[in-house]
Amino acid sequence: MSLLSLTLLAPLVAAAAILVLRRASAALALAGVLLGFLGAAGLLFGAARGDLLQAALPGLPQMPLRLTAGPLTALLSALVATVAALVVVYAVGYMRKDPEKPRFFATLLFFVSAMQALVLAGDWITLLAAWELIGFSSYLLIGFWHGREGVAGAASRAFLYTRSADLGLYIAAFILIGSAGTSEISAGLTTGGVAATIAGLGLLIAAMGKSAQVPLQDWLQRAMAGPTPVSALLHSATLVAAGAILLIRSAPMMPAGVLTLIALVGGVTAVITGLMALAERDLKRLLAASTSSQYGLMLLAVGAGAPIAALLHLLAHAAIKSSLFLGAGVFQHDRDSTNLSDLAGAGRARPGIFAGFALSALALAGIPPLAGFFSKDAIIAASLAAPGALWLVPLALIGTVLTGAYMARALRHLWRGKPPGRAERAPWMAAGMGLLVVPAAVLGAGFPAIEGLLNAAPPGGEMAVALGLAAAALGLLAGWFIPAPRLLGGLLPWAQGGFAVAGGMRGLVLRPALAIAALTETFEQRLYNGALATGRAMLSLGRISRETDETGIDGAIFALARRTRETGARARRLQSGLIHRELALTVLGIALVTAVLLAAPLYS
Amino acid sequence: MGMARDLSFLLPEMTLGITAFIMLVAEMLRRPRLALLIGLAGLALATALTFPVLNAGTTVFGGTYRIDMLSGWAKLILLPGTALALLLARAEIAGRDREGSVYALIALVTLGALMLSGSGDVMLMVLGVVLTGLGSFALVAWPRDDAATEAAMKYLVFGSVTGAVMIYGLSFWYGGTGSTLYSALSGIGDQPLIAMAGLIAVIVGLGYKAALFPFHFWAPDAYEGAPVSIAAYLSVITKLAALFAFAQAFRDLPTSTGWPLVIALIAAATMSYGYLAALVQTRMVRLIAYSSIAQSGYFLLGLLAIGGGTLALPSLIVFGAAYVAMNLGAFAVIMVAGRELEDFRGFGRAAPITGVAMVIFLLSLTGIPPLFGFVGKVYLFGAAISAGYLWLAIIAILNSVLALAVYLRIIVAMYQPRPDAAAAPGQAGPLIAAVLGITVLITLVMGLFAGLLPG
Repeated sequence: MSLLSLTLLAPLVAAAAILVLRRASAALALAGVLLGFLGAAGLLFGAARGDLLQAALPGLPQMPLRLTAGPLTALLSALVATVAALVVVYAVGYMRKDPEKPRFFATLLFFVSAMQALVLAGDWITLLAAWELIGFSSYLLIGFWHGREGVAGAASRAFLYTRSADLGLYIAAFILIGSAGTSEISAGLTTGGVAATIAGLGLLIAAMGKSAQVPLQDWLQRAMAGPTPVSALLHSATLVAAGAILLIRSAPMMPAGVLTLIALVGGVTAVITGLMALAERDLKRLLAASTSSQYGLMLLAVGAGAPIAALLHLLAHAAIKSSLFLGAGVFQHDRDSTNLSDLAGAGRARPGIFAGFALSALALAGIPPLAGFFSKDAIIAASLAAPGALWLVPLALIGTVLTGAYMARALRHLWRGKPPGRAERAPWMAAGMGLLVVPAAVLGAGFPAIEGLLNAAPPGGEMAVALGLAAAALGLLAGWFIPAPRLLGGLLPWAQGGFAVAGGMRGLVLRPALAIAALTETFEQRLYNGALATGRAMLSLGRISRETDETGIDGAIFALARRTRETGARARRLQSGLIHRELALTVLGIALVTAVLLAAPLYS
Repeated sequence: MGMARDLSFLLPEMTLGITAFIMLVAEMLRRPRLALLIGLAGLALATALTFPVLNAGTTVFGGTYRIDMLSGWAKLILLPGTALALLLARAEIAGRDREGSVYALIALVTLGALMLSGSGDVMLMVLGVVLTGLGSFALVAWPRDDAATEAAMKYLVFGSVTGAVMIYGLSFWYGGTGSTLYSALSGIGDQPLIAMAGLIAVIVGLGYKAALFPFHFWAPDAYEGAPVSIAAYLSVITKLAALFAFAQAFRDLPTSTGWPLVIALIAAATMSYGYLAALVQTRMVRLIAYSSIAQSGYFLLGLLAIGGGTLALPSLIVFGAAYVAMNLGAFAVIMVAGRELEDFRGFGRAAPITGVAMVIFLLSLTGIPPLFGFVGKVYLFGAAISAGYLWLAIIAILNSVLALAVYLRIIVAMYQPRPDAAAAPGQAGPLIAAVLGITVLITLVMGLFAGLLPG
């Protein structure tokens, strides 16, 4: 209980303290994440000893808010805490000169706290709440430099994208709560039948939004508008990971059909976003596309029936990708740009940072004995063993080749070109990155311990090792020696355009929604006009009868009629004549209600 | 004996009625401040007197008035909500002519609202509709300028027509069952046409009051013509009362009459229409008016489960409480910032604390957890799904995405650079600051302690 609250509350309290004190923000942030890290480490040790730490808050009646630190959740919590702590160390250097530092650290810590709540959530309501909170705080983080052009739009887009996919999570959560009778996640995972299928599809949609899977991949690259530490944190172990974590946790209840779909989505994403990364001209956007691609591989592993392989890749990727981003941030500081052509030779000016970057890149490509090698082999082995091996294996292998190719391309750009003078030292940034490169390199050694903790073994086999190594080597060589346009051939314009399917989100959702909104605006107007036309017809009928009457009716009545007309005209001006039109609509509404009620025997 | 027992259950209502009367006297003596203080004290006393009868679960006056969970919690929501609205009104119209009459009218309208939410009889429902209606027309017309008069006129004509339809239709129920009690409705299933006539009447009469599509047309105009504080009041108190009255009436109505589907369709149309229309508004009051219309649609999700599920009443009560807090808060911010969307440009930078409060209200209206509005929506979705209306829950969740688009328009504008020509925004006076503080606290904290509410 106390460890759980330490993990969760230490960053939150630090965030509040920063907002209140508005000074010493870096020190407070460090203290917050370090305490949180200690808590998470304690949870992991507890879970390794076999304890199951739980805490419940009253929350909703009959649906207490639960936090659970089992083996899986404690492991993820430790991962989040580790990456968060190192990113904060790095950010101390990166944000040194930013006048809005307190706001940055406060939001970052709030995000970390929400993410911890998400991984430790033991019930669907907590999960939903944490899910939305990370969405909202990532909105704040991506939009941190909201004064800059395009940033506010990018943040809103990320928020709207992921939130529209959240629909799936809401539906799934309510179905699982409804069919299990409790909001506990572990109880909900025993659901079967149609409910499991619908819930599984819902979870998949939610995961696709958060993990930036095709066709919802577009927001992630735009989210690069945020500060680099934010990208490092969001892309490695947190925001984007939430989708994969959700699927890994709910894998036990997924019916076969849904699993196939998950594998398909993941495989297709791995290939398409891999191609996008290869075509990308901006280092951070390249890394972002690569994130989508790697999460695609994880989904493929979940779909192939090996969530443990997905988890191992998640862990390896978290360390690798955050160190890559931190390296990119150092180069960005040097050159004030993330454009690959501006960064040419930036690696030579900082051989230390470049070495770390290269090590991580090789790890991502899957070169032994680095971390990515083991996890990628597990994924390939899983796809070999899966029922749909025939199409899963090629997708996984192409994804691996592409990984090698785009990482080699990035390395080449950073290395070739004229070396500028020596850069100023950046001790905080180097420390944060250095500490992340170490696990990126050696995490593979810890995998057996993790497998033992979770009591699950990933599939293996020499075949997978051979295929994986061949694919990685092929990709690296191709990426280094062959320019991307030649590699991509006719696919280049597509890949650069982000494979916008049918206009992407914008064409599919945004434009129709605005069009409908505009229609509603004119809807009332149209109906008014209709009602008005009817009214005019009535009035002219009235005028005809009035004229016939006026000729034969005596003066007193005539005068009275005129006065009434004048009063009416005044009243009409007062109400702008709109009321009868609206009342006509109301009558129409009454008629519709009546019609539905009259039809009641037909449907009930 | 019987009379004394019945009256003892009506202490909150009687307190409020007497308070309103004394407030009128104070206004006649030209002591508006006194009227306000009496009103606040009376509301506080009435709230306190509600607690003893909160879980009474009984009826008085031969079943015509219900002292049950719904009417009890309605008092606990509506009475403090009215007190907040009084504070807002004071902040807006202090020192102006006929100030005290506004306070007295507000108290009277709230009395009508309590009647609606406790009604166990169609006559009481009609009385409640009329009492809330007459007071509201006068409140909207209070500024005496063209816009307000026109808005009030429209409101009145709409109210008269829908009221006439309602009373006419309800007479069928009386004819069919031989009683004006709702409890007599349980046997009306075998007279489908009569049941239908009354049902249409209720939907039209209360749907108008709750601003449901397609009976909502008056709302944006009335809110815009009225003082902002009055719009805030009307958008929460009378609307909530009408929705609670729906719940009371439908509790005894057999579902074989087909009411759930009609309500579900109206809910879907109201939510979608409200948010779509809000998406294209440029005037802040109209935007929030359409957003309030959409929120009424969400309430109907809870109403659907009233026949069977256990979630129906809790969902209405919890979301009701959340809605009062966040909508009053949003209107309070409008009072500070201005009535146009353009007034909000850069407002968040110029007035950071009020700006953050507005963001909290808007996110809660969207349904972002763990804010209070989210908890209410969890209940509402749960209620609709348990009643078998998964499709409606999906439409509701889709609409929350639309809602986010609507509210982000405000949030984004608030943090854009302020136009140079714009004057500095007004400061929140102590009264508005108090209202903002209370509503922010409720919106933030009650999400975590929703277990304290009924369920």
